[in-house]
Amino acid sequence: MPHAVSTGTTIVAVEYAGGVVIGADSRVSTGTYISNRASDKITPLSDNAFLLRSGSAADTQLVSDYVRHMVHQHESQLQRPIDVPTVANLVMQIGYNNKNALSAAAMLVAGYDAATRQGHVYAVPIGGTMVRQKYAIDGSGSIFIYGYCDSEYKDDMTREEAESFVAEAIALAMSTDGSSGGVVRLVTVNEDGIFRRLHAGDKSVPRFGEEKDVHKDLTDKANAMQT
Amino acid sequence: MSSSYGDINVSGGIGLDSESAPFNLELARRNSMIERQGMKLPRYLKTGTTICGVVYANGVVLGADTRSTNGDTVADKNCEKIHYIAPNIYCCGAGTAADTEATTNMVASALNMHRYGTNGRTSRVITALTMLKSHLFKYQGNVSAALVLGGFDINGPHLFTVYPHGSSDSLPYATMGSGSLAAMSIFEAGYKENMTKEEAMKLVADAIKSGVFNDLGSGSNVDLCIITKEGKEYLRNYECPNPRPYASQSFSFAKGTTPVLRSTMLTLKDVVVEEGADAMEVGA
Amino acid sequence: MSSVGAGYDLSSTTFSPDGRVFQVEYAQKAVDNSGTVLGLRVRDGVVLAIEKPVISKLAVPGANRRILSADRSVGMAGAGLAADCRMVVNRARGECQNYKHFYGSAMPTEVLAERIASYVHLFTLYWSVRPCGASTLVAGCDQSGGERTPQLYLVEPNGVVQRFYGTALGKARQSAKSEIEKLDLSSMSAKEAVKAAAKIIYQVHDESKDKQFELEMTWIAPETDYEHRRVPADMLAEAEAEAKAAIEAMDE
Repeated sequence: MPHAVSTGTTIVAVEYAGGVVIGADSRVSTGTYISNRASDKITPLSDNAFLLRSGSAADTQLVSDYVRHMVHQHESQLQRPIDVPTVANLVMQIGYNNKNALSAAAMLVAGYDAATRQGHVYAVPIGGTMVRQKYAIDGSGSIFIYGYCDSEYKDDMTREEAESFVAEAIALAMSTDGSSGGVVRLVTVNEDGIFRRLHAGDKSVPRFGEEKDVHKDLTDKANAMQT
Repeated sequence: MSSSYGDINVSGGIGLDSESAPFNLELARRNSMIERQGMKLPRYLKTGTTICGVVYANGVVLGADTRSTNGDTVADKNCEKIHYIAPNIYCCGAGTAADTEATTNMVASALNMHRYGTNGRTSRVITALTMLKSHLFKYQGNVSAALVLGGFDINGPHLFTVYPHGSSDSLPYATMGSGSLAAMSIFEAGYKENMTKEEAMKLVADAIKSGVFNDLGSGSNVDLCIITKEGKEYLRNYECPNPRPYASQSFSFAKGTTPVLRSTMLTLKDVVVEEGADAMEVGA
Repeated sequence: MSSVGAGYDLSSTTFSPDGRVFQVEYAQKAVDNSGTVLGLRVRDGVVLAIEKPVISKLAVPGANRRILSADRSVGMAGAGLAADCRMVVNRARGECQNYKHFYGSAMPTEVLAERIASYVHLFTLYWSVRPCGASTLVAGCDQSGGERTPQLYLVEPNGVVQRFYGTALGKARQSAKSEIEKLDLSSMSAKEAVKAAAKIIYQVHDESKDKQFELEMTWIAPETDYEHRRVPADMLAEAEAEAKAAIEAMDE
């Protein structure tokens, strides 16, 4: 049987003062072949919550399809937008009930609830775990950025700080992890809506020893795109 | 998911746990185990293949080579790998020929039924995609179909790749099969946004030819299928870069081509026929 | 009633020629003969009250409760056959548990009421079962954002759900309802509603005809942290005393 398609990945999600910022690289690989260099691993589950996928593409696409289906049903019954914790709970339920069928995949659920004015980040790996975190990282590239994230994370960051935190974390992981690469996709969810951005490939990936310059480059770029 | 709480069963929905699974995949597991222990299992007819597609200004162009292989032998020099899904949707298949054929046929007929039930409304590519991927996911990669799905519907042109395990990608240009690397190199070098139909056709044909010439599993001719708002254009054997070098020859030989070295005649009178004898024992 | 005895009232799977299902109407009668049940949805909470006839002098006070909890903050008051009420409440408890397990949050009262209604409705569809002889008042306090919204629903044996500010079931429902209509529910606090409910129950009780009764009362209010609780004994005693005093004052 051929290699299963897998998103050797770096995914990052962080809660900040007024919402959440989530990000992912864009590399999808089958064995050593990059089958998609610009994929979108930030999958919407509801109007205000997203699933960050890592691990088997087939499995995580199925999970997101199922959850989107259930969210739809639930929202039409409640006649109001679904809460992010509820969405995370649905992902957890599917991951728990099918732990033997789905291969190990780490997923993050993140979003912003307008009703409670609250951002949420959940780590929801297959198996039934569901943990709310201030920030969460996962995927094959995440092991390279634990140090960076632990030292750079602050409570109640501004939107700009959070965006450059996520963008740089992913760029750093992409520079070291062979299975992460392509472009950096960023999504910010807050009271004003959903804001999508991408940092195109070559310019956003720091080369070894040049991280500081790239940091500046990214921050400048982020600020420029902000306006 | 219905009103009664007893019905909520997500595990049943996915259908992979042992109690509610509609299919038993244990033999697939057993086969791969005995294969690992050294037994040679029978080979399937595979389409070592180059298939691809691009989205251009107002449509989609799909392309495929026409070689079908069985192990190291070419089983069919001019097979069809661009399968019909709906009048506005076609699908290139790579992998086990039987699987790509059966899967695409199944979805084609399901969509046909769906059109009967929806006043003949044009089928959507996303519907075909969902049907394909949920079928493939259910079989956990044992249905060996790698597909490039293209079509034009109410939402415009669409192009998807579908992998045997049931994952999919939405892409502006896509390749699949053993020749996908060769074809992708042509796309990466030559793809532009908003190409004309002619540019797109040339790019796809070049990509397929790159597979035909550089990949052992791909060969023979180039098939194209162009799908636009107006309809489809199926160009069978759009290019034939590998014509037969000589025409097929007659296999009848003139009398006397083979010399007679020796001849023996037997007469029937030496044969004794014994009436009423018991039949010879032939059973085990 | 027209067509009674014509054979159309033997099964809930048969309509009468004028389009009625008598078995379901009879189930409603079982509810109508019950002790009076009251529900008030007010500014910051919900109050449920029941006039529970004392069947025997040997009965332990406070036993055989007719107002039960389906979830931490959902109360259900049943009118009609006690056993049927219990069956419905047990189902509601299952629904609430299951919803919380699946979605990770408390079940909205409206969804619960609709699920109970679907359940009760099933008993009107099959030859092999008898309709549910109980109506239930479902009281809850939904949380959305930081807001708490008091909710009151009525689920009838025929499977109908209705949403109310206040309503009454049982023997004295008519007079109780006209008393409720006099109240200004939207500005009333739950604490005030407890007294108002006690007063109405005492007021509509027909001492000459009916047996002795016990007042059973629960509430969901800021005072209970929006959980469904029995009204505390001292508060209940005070409300009962005030009710009795008011009625004596009216009689004079």
